[in-house]
Amino acid sequence: MAPSRLTAQAAGVNGKTALRFLLRAFGAAILILVIWRVTTVGLAEGYPASFWISQALNGLVLGGVYALVALGYTLVYGILFMINFAHGEVMMIGGIAGFFALQFSQARGWMEGPWPVVVAALLLIMLFGMAASVLIGVALERLAYRPLRQAPRLVPLISAIGASLFLQYSVLLIFGVSPHSYRKPALISGGMRMGDVFIPYTGAIIFFTSILLMLALYFIIQRTKLGRAMRAVAEDRATASLMGVDVNAVIVITFMLGSALAGAAGVMLGFHNTVVKFNSGFVPGLKAFTAAVLGGIGNIPGAMFGALILGLIEAIGPSALGIPTEYKDVIAFSLLVLILIFRPSGLFGEVLSEKKA
Amino acid sequence: MLKELRIPALLVITLLLLAACVAAPPAAEAPAEEASMDEAPADMSGKVVIASGGNIRIGGSFALTGPIPDPGLNIRHGAELAIDDLNAAGGLEGFMFELVAEDGACDGTQGTNVGNKFAADETIVAVTGGTCSGETFGLVPILQEARIPFVSPSATNPDITTPDCDVCNRVALSDALQGATDADFVISDLGFTKVAVVHDNSDYGKGLAEIFQSNVTDMGGEVSSFEGVQVGDTDFRAMLARVGADGPQAVFFGGYSTEAGLIAQQMTETPGLEETAFMSVDGAYTQQYLEAAGDAAEGTYISFVAGADSEDMNAEFDAKYVEKYGVSPDDLGPFHSQSYDSVKLIAAAIMAVATVDDSGNLVIDREELISAIRSVDAFEGLTGTIKCDSIGECGAGGVQIFQVADGAFDQVSGFGME
Repeated sequence: MAPSRLTAQAAGVNGKTALRFLLRAFGAAILILVIWRVTTVGLAEGYPASFWISQALNGLVLGGVYALVALGYTLVYGILFMINFAHGEVMMIGGIAGFFALQFSQARGWMEGPWPVVVAALLLIMLFGMAASVLIGVALERLAYRPLRQAPRLVPLISAIGASLFLQYSVLLIFGVSPHSYRKPALISGGMRMGDVFIPYTGAIIFFTSILLMLALYFIIQRTKLGRAMRAVAEDRATASLMGVDVNAVIVITFMLGSALAGAAGVMLGFHNTVVKFNSGFVPGLKAFTAAVLGGIGNIPGAMFGALILGLIEAIGPSALGIPTEYKDVIAFSLLVLILIFRPSGLFGEVLSEKKA
Repeated sequence: MLKELRIPALLVITLLLLAACVAAPPAAEAPAEEASMDEAPADMSGKVVIASGGNIRIGGSFALTGPIPDPGLNIRHGAELAIDDLNAAGGLEGFMFELVAEDGACDGTQGTNVGNKFAADETIVAVTGGTCSGETFGLVPILQEARIPFVSPSATNPDITTPDCDVCNRVALSDALQGATDADFVISDLGFTKVAVVHDNSDYGKGLAEIFQSNVTDMGGEVSSFEGVQVGDTDFRAMLARVGADGPQAVFFGGYSTEAGLIAQQMTETPGLEETAFMSVDGAYTQQYLEAAGDAAEGTYISFVAGADSEDMNAEFDAKYVEKYGVSPDDLGPFHSQSYDSVKLIAAAIMAVATVDDSGNLVIDREELISAIRSVDAFEGLTGTIKCDSIGECGAGGVQIFQVADGAFDQVSGFGME
């Protein structure tokens, strides 16, 4: 009896070493393949420096949007240990609400007024989009997740996917299948041209606003009483509640913060890409989830940097590898698989949920 | 759990990387399944029998959701008006026509679902649709097997009609013609020698882009890049930066309205493409294109496969359309006349083969109906005099080229202007 078990264990150990070796070999092979492609094909195309700068700037704008959405995934995961797969839809609803707010202000001629009026109107549109997203985010938490808080971890996940479909098709039924086109006011149409590099104003606004919002969020979490309560709940929900933290309120506020960021992203993406429709949150939602995993889900700075890295890779990757740009999604999701294989806790580790994992 | 998944995940990733590096373009497959007549559903040995008081049911596959919902709805409206007119004229021997509308979603998978639904329903006599080429490719093998003939008002991919498919017909013109005409316009009329070609990876858009590309090359022009995007994408800046690096004189896009509009708009923000001409195709001949492109639409070119319209009949149709739906047909999409003709063509073929048996039932032989559609000759429709050839090409008319001026399509070349 005993010797046979020992052999089995030894075999298990050998198997593990072999697997680890195999993994390393695969990792190395993939790395070599990528480097070979970049040097022999991508760089051999001979694109000028301005081309790479343009692509990098495109990537940073994409990354800014992904970051705002990724923060919502990461905040909720940090506290509830669940993936809110309806988060992309929360963003889409912000975009749809922003569209109607824009129409409202256009009908009143605010978009043709002097620049302070336009800026004020744009801020109001963004706030309206954020408010709509917050409303949906809170409703989601109350109706789809709170009743399942004690259920096994897979259950809220399924509820999230259901909620995502429910939101998409509700928007389809209420607002129709046709895309809604944002009309950019003259103030933010066009962009700056520096040599052969063009920076659309909307792109610059997205990048700087997302940095600003991320700093604000970081400040809330690290420097305020509310942030301390959030970190406490993330660390240990039961103990936090014994210490007098209102756990339910903290969870609701977490959803509000995440949804507000997603709403802002939805409105800004609406102005940047100029169309929104019922399924326009789906792909960005998946990408933002990838970004959150890339940086280490539950880790706030990780989500920000993961998103910027993902945006850059998506924009530069196809050209650097010398493959058609239609494979940008393949690159993004391959990255997700690679991260899950080689570094499941992400580039920056799961800081908030260390204890739970 | 994660570790167990490692090996399969590694395999998947390796395959993905290899696929990305090798990048062999997936060939659009034209289903060419040979179906035998014996396999037809056993409803009275290949006959549709409609009891007295029943309706003659015609299926419709329309792109009501997906990338072009407005044109899809427009096509459905055209079919409904044709049914109204047929019934107002007394139907057929007292039997009324009925449209069974389904959402084909402009998508091959959904086309297959719709096809299965129709094939399972023994009362469906014929089908009008699908709207998009990919959706229609989904319908083809199923309807072929079920011996249900279809006429598409708007699927333009050349491979929809083949000598192998006897149930496949269309009143739209094949993209073989549109691609060649567009290439000729860009090279000969506009005098460009270097063009970039972009497509949306749909059967329709990619097929048309490839025809355009080969025609340009044959005429001595240079195709500086051939790039694909996805239906539903909204950010084309990375792709356009790459196209712009080669400095083409024109960008040609094979695809649908929203993507076309966004590409036209984002070209104005791409170094190297600010002043470059943009041309797209019938999938973008819509109000949605003008809306999505905004000011960037001005000066862009769009081609369309137009019918040889008879003005009186169209004025009457437009009046009925506005009365019933409260909107001008052209505001929603371009293919309403083709859709109307498609249903009327099917009805004409049914009238030619249907018989009333002794018990007062209407009997339609499926095989006779299939050949009756092909024998339609000199049928007067909204899009001109329709005559079907031996592979199911029934379209009349020609390719028109428009340029956007002051937010409207203004014809600059092609059919009807010679």
